[in-house]
Amino acid sequence: MKEKNEKNRTNPVGAFFFSIGAFLKEFVTAVADGDAGVKASLVICGAGYLKRKQIIKGILVTLLELAVILYMAFIGAPFLEKFGTLGTVQQAMVYNPTTMKNEVNDYDNSLMILMFGVISLVVLILAVILWMVNVVNNYKLQKRAEAGKHINSFKEDINRMLNEKFHVTLLALPVAGITIFTVFPLIVMIAIAFTNYDQNHMPPTALFTWVGMTNFKSLFTTNLTMTFGYTFRKVLCWTLLWAVLATFTTYIGGILLALLINSKFAKVKKFWRTVFVAAISVPQFVTLLLLRNFFANTGIANTFCANIGLTDLLKKLGLITTNYIPFLTDPVWAKITIVVINIWVGVPYLMLIATGVLMNIPEELKESARIDGANPFQIFRKITMPYMLFITGPYLVTQFTANINNFNVIYLLTQDIYTTTDQKLAASNGKEIDLLVTWLFRLTNEFYNYKMAAVIAIFVFIICAVFTLIAFNFLIKGDKEETFQ
Amino acid sequence: MKRKMLVTVLCAAMTASMLAGCGSTSSNNDAASGSSATGTEAGAPASSDETITLTVWAAEEDQDFTKGLIQKFEDAHPDQKFDISVGVESESKAKDDILVDVEAAADVYSFASDQIEALVDAGALQAVNDVDTVTNENIATSVEAATVDGTLYAYPESADNGYFLFYDKSVVSEEAAQTVDGILEACGTAGKKFGMVYASGWYNASFFYGAGFTTSKADDGSTVMDWNKSAGNYAGTDVAQAMLDIATNPAFVAVTDGDTSNQINSGEIAAIVSGTWDAVSAKEAFGDNYVATKLPTYTCKGEQVQMGSAAGFKMIGVNPHSEYVGWAMELALFLTNEESQAARFTEREVGPSNSVVAKSDEVLANEAIAAVTAQNEVGGVIQEVGDNYWESAKSFGEILAQGNPDGTDLQTLLDNLVEAAVQPAQ
Amino acid sequence: MGKKRVINTILVQVILAVLAVIWLIPIVWLVVTSFSGTDGMNTSRFFPETWSLRNYTRLLAEPDTVAQFPKWFMNTFIIAVFNCIISTAFVLMVSYAMSCMRFKGRKALMNMAVILQLFPAFLSMIVIYFILKAVNLTNSHIGMILVYSGSAGLGYLVAKGFFDTIPKSLREAAYIEGASEARTFFTIVLPLSKPIIVYTIISSFLVPWTDFVFAKIILNSGVSTDWTVAIGLYNMLQKNLLPHYFTRFCAGGVLVGIPISILFVIMQKFYVEGITGGSVKG
Repeated sequence: MKEKNEKNRTNPVGAFFFSIGAFLKEFVTAVADGDAGVKASLVICGAGYLKRKQIIKGILVTLLELAVILYMAFIGAPFLEKFGTLGTVQQAMVYNPTTMKNEVNDYDNSLMILMFGVISLVVLILAVILWMVNVVNNYKLQKRAEAGKHINSFKEDINRMLNEKFHVTLLALPVAGITIFTVFPLIVMIAIAFTNYDQNHMPPTALFTWVGMTNFKSLFTTNLTMTFGYTFRKVLCWTLLWAVLATFTTYIGGILLALLINSKFAKVKKFWRTVFVAAISVPQFVTLLLLRNFFANTGIANTFCANIGLTDLLKKLGLITTNYIPFLTDPVWAKITIVVINIWVGVPYLMLIATGVLMNIPEELKESARIDGANPFQIFRKITMPYMLFITGPYLVTQFTANINNFNVIYLLTQDIYTTTDQKLAASNGKEIDLLVTWLFRLTNEFYNYKMAAVIAIFVFIICAVFTLIAFNFLIKGDKEETFQ
Repeated sequence: MKRKMLVTVLCAAMTASMLAGCGSTSSNNDAASGSSATGTEAGAPASSDETITLTVWAAEEDQDFTKGLIQKFEDAHPDQKFDISVGVESESKAKDDILVDVEAAADVYSFASDQIEALVDAGALQAVNDVDTVTNENIATSVEAATVDGTLYAYPESADNGYFLFYDKSVVSEEAAQTVDGILEACGTAGKKFGMVYASGWYNASFFYGAGFTTSKADDGSTVMDWNKSAGNYAGTDVAQAMLDIATNPAFVAVTDGDTSNQINSGEIAAIVSGTWDAVSAKEAFGDNYVATKLPTYTCKGEQVQMGSAAGFKMIGVNPHSEYVGWAMELALFLTNEESQAARFTEREVGPSNSVVAKSDEVLANEAIAAVTAQNEVGGVIQEVGDNYWESAKSFGEILAQGNPDGTDLQTLLDNLVEAAVQPAQ
Repeated sequence: MGKKRVINTILVQVILAVLAVIWLIPIVWLVVTSFSGTDGMNTSRFFPETWSLRNYTRLLAEPDTVAQFPKWFMNTFIIAVFNCIISTAFVLMVSYAMSCMRFKGRKALMNMAVILQLFPAFLSMIVIYFILKAVNLTNSHIGMILVYSGSAGLGYLVAKGFFDTIPKSLREAAYIEGASEARTFFTIVLPLSKPIIVYTIISSFLVPWTDFVFAKIILNSGVSTDWTVAIGLYNMLQKNLLPHYFTRFCAGGVLVGIPISILFVIMQKFYVEGITGGSVKG
């Protein structure tokens, strides 16, 4: 096992370039040594297959080639041409009273140019790779034919797709979906980080263009008129603090609750479990919106606290200056409330998982420890906890990154309720309780500052990626997937 | 046209599953596309065989009323086929949804006048074609508010979207209602509260406008404001101190923006700064003791200063990306004509911007609308600010509402506010 | 010893009861408020002053421009069903390929998937919106289904963990008998994977019921009959609507919450198995 891991770690970058080099060499050989069919396939992709009587395959490949060429000529090229400037012709409208319509000039839409420019680039790169692969395949086919080996019919090719190449069939659609709905939007968003796409440059009315690293610079600047640097620092600190607090409070809380429910003293275990699960199974947006009204300044929680005199007590202690407890409107109180509510939301999940793990701790381990004279606490520390950490380690890591991106809890609890009292934060549309994600969400959704949102997102990614890499290297020992097979 | 072709080609290129969806129609096509309609002269639209498809966004509470007006509009053009649908969009939030994608927004929509600059910048407003009609029929201030850089961009719908004072005369006497101090004292004695929204640049500007401070918008979209300096007899810090004094009075409650009617309903309030949208709640809560009047004066540097206000209007705008922009303008004009405004007042108690209707006996008899008018006369200002003003002013108001918990120097607070607001929109 | 045991038992039960009460307070508040006779939020009492069913009757039988609950429910249900079919298929396909097959680039693809999930998802929503708009799919069910299910393949990890536990020998026996890879997938692996299929189906079914971010941006016509349950209910709590719709919001929350709770209770076992990598039995 260990050896295997070592091997995987041998410089993946080097391996990557090596394989590219090998492929290029293969391509050059194919072009140089190929017969007329292979050489013709440089122009008409299906030529080689046609020559070897793989008629259907030949036609399909050629048709695909034709489609790509047509796409590039009619759609791709015009967009790519403007990709460098993201458009120069601003929209202009003139109302024509005769037709009762607006007449619009042939304007450029920067976002469309960016999007389709990226699509076309991707298509172009893929097309070149496929074209090279195709030539190589044609050459291989030639070799097979020369060696007198069997050449697959179309039906046999199809059959291969259900057998040794079944993964291609399986992965084709899901990967296409991921490409369209995840990969491609990501590339576009990353590109937006290098443009000035914001409220003053919104297509179709206005154009936006490339601005290089300007936005990255403003994320780190704090001066008289620019407070993004200040806000970024503040929000980042709270995001990290929040992720640590949220992850560990729910983790420990969940384990404690599970221990409690599964202790030999507890009766009707199943009932208790169901109660806690029921509490979290109502959709989050319902419960969180409800809790936000529950803890509002004029909400029922405040009425209750005022009635039992808690509000007055806190006021005397100087913990609050207002006539109500600002559960969700004061920076410190709101942070505490949010963490507490997150415990409410998260603990039952952890309880479920911890229950599952606890039931699987080999009884012999505990038994032998007991015989050695260990008390329950020692057993918990020496056996239960390490076992728990081992099994739930990966979950803990993903949970941490999920909490960095925990949008629901913060947004639903504080949106429209919380007003910042830090003027520097207000100047860059941030709030004390904002996580990086909620900040970037409001930047796009309320202030249309797409460029800064994109920059922040890139940083969120970097933080998550670095953390995940480090954590996985520490936590995950061995490759579990092989152990069962 | 180019876009249309693109859509078609793309559809063909997309996977089979997507192909299925290409047939589904959207109400909005590019303004440039579509076949040409036959028409004659402006002002008297000739009907065509085409069905005119339009979407109208109106506020939640105006849905049925708007549908009624649209029916009348269709009846007024019997030769023309229409397909007009009504969607929900609150006037105060129209900008947020329209700016995401101007092309997908409704053809005709209603919005509050403070958003007009942002909407014009985003190309979401069609310049009014029939300027004369609108200018002649509506009061001058509303036309001014609908005008940006000399061009009329919207059809004024109401002139009552400003704030003034509601109070319960069993608690606050008419005399006490003249000054904030009087109100606070009366409320304090009765164990009631005086409420106002502090955390909003629309409300809290009231104190500054009253004391002679101004805001305006520069060409680059930044705000020009003098609040951290002095205007006439008062320094900005004097005003801020006055606001702070009010906020720290135990009889004062700082209301969250949008939460005013809940506060009135709660029964703890005896006086509140709000607008006609809360008239019904206030009448219900105060009963026979309901009074609506102009804003009081407040104590600034030992003197009484009349609170100003940001006059507000509701307007109807036309989306230039509408396929039938001409008909959309016709509809907008119809929705804001004298008859519609009169009907809107009768059915919804909305104060008209139409100069004839505004002078009718019924309107003059309406207490809430009279209060807006009175307030506009003593200190109504059309608020012109840049995009960066709002968040900063909101935060500034919240700090004062919480009684300036960190004890920051008021001059610093004002400097920060102005600094953030005057930066050009990035 | 016996006495101590009794005391301990009582202690544990009491602690659990207190915790359970804390956890259930919001849910109880949701339920009792949904039966309130008034429209707005009651901030002075936990239990409503008057009880009534009218929030439910109005929500279900008298839709107005704000509350179109039956319509929303249908919309969400349709989207959920299709999302569930496509997502489940995608997840199972990817999981099988990643778990049971060995091919060039498998590791690379898996690493890519991990990296992709680290980007905040709704960052790209504006681009997704414009992609859908380019093919005219905004404000349509198909658009919503594509958004929810398009990237479903990324969520393959749990199912892969399950497939990893299916003994290789079973598949090898099938190959020896001459079964194709596809046949093995359908006749050997899938029938053994009921728990994980149930888990995938339920979890993908739940997505449209809880998402309001993507739904809000893609269903932007302003016509409330187009909405899903999540945006509809979210909209009811706008400040100007809250005084009139709060109790109906609660009724809607209960109506959506009950079926989801039931599904969730069914799913909890598989959820645990998934997270702990299938290493937990029972």
